[in-house]
Amino acid sequence: MIGSGQQWPVASLGPIARARALGASIPSAAWTEGILDAPYGTAWPWVADLEVSVPRFDTQVRKIRVLDRSEGAGAGPGAGPGAEKLRITASTLGIAVPFDVRLEDGFCLMQARARIYLVLMAAEPHDDGAHTRFFHLEAIPLPGTRFLRGHLQRVVDADFANLSRLAAQGF
Amino acid sequence: MDALVRALIPYVGRVCGAIALDRGDDAMQETFIAVLRNIRSLREPAALHGWVRRIAVREAIRAARGGREDPVDPDALVGLALAPVDVATVVDVRSTLAGLAPEQRAILVLRDIDGLSEAEAARLLGVPEGTVKSRLHRARSAFTRRWEP
Repeated sequence: MIGSGQQWPVASLGPIARARALGASIPSAAWTEGILDAPYGTAWPWVADLEVSVPRFDTQVRKIRVLDRSEGAGAGPGAGPGAEKLRITASTLGIAVPFDVRLEDGFCLMQARARIYLVLMAAEPHDDGAHTRFFHLEAIPLPGTRFLRGHLQRVVDADFANLSRLAAQGF
Repeated sequence: MDALVRALIPYVGRVCGAIALDRGDDAMQETFIAVLRNIRSLREPAALHGWVRRIAVREAIRAARGGREDPVDPDALVGLALAPVDVATVVDVRSTLAGLAPEQRAILVLRDIDGLSEAEAARLLGVPEGTVKSRLHRARSAFTRRWEP
């Protein structure tokens, strides 16, 4: 046996690779990925403040309310640093939809309580942190919803365009 | 699904890192895409670990070969030239692994990280048990030569 004390090389799954893998398993998932003209150290903290950020770049959401936040809950092996679980409501067309959120550094998974909608955002430093590589995905994780992918693609493209504009303006 | 990914990250990271080396991160992403796309085909939950292992080893070998899927002729590994020994890097596992073929690294991972028998490793890789024995012997010899001044 090779000694167990030796340091075997270990591969990692970054936030964007993790989001891509999750998205690839959902037939209706639409996503976009690109570079934001803002440093990661500025962009991600702004995005992670969901009450402020989401209503500004997501035209479908008028308001986000954080109902409950538990820091470090259920981080578990393989999780990114500083994992948080949030319960939020996202108001769309006057209806407040409850979501469970998992928020980590560079990774945000938002799942509607009824499992009818899923939003994923992931980010990593680009150009040594001077810019931000951003991944945004929306999906309806229900059987027979693949035909909605075209609509969802227009939604995420519009969201990303808004986010790009806001990043260029310094949020 | 994300909870499953988080639970599997440490194990898949070790398999992909040791076999695919610098391409380990790519192998890891492809492993999880394959796992999540096909998880519904897994009828027996108890078989999850072995199923994920098979996918991770396959994707790691493919990534290490630069994406090529063509199987390596086991005979071609006989007499494989190992990297020159650098006594200064006594326990440099990575550089020793880099001197091995991806299939040899896979054998090491399956035997020395996962604890599979030679027969089990042979079944997983689709090669005769004798090939596993010879690959393992050469791989371990590479480490021994590294570590013995």
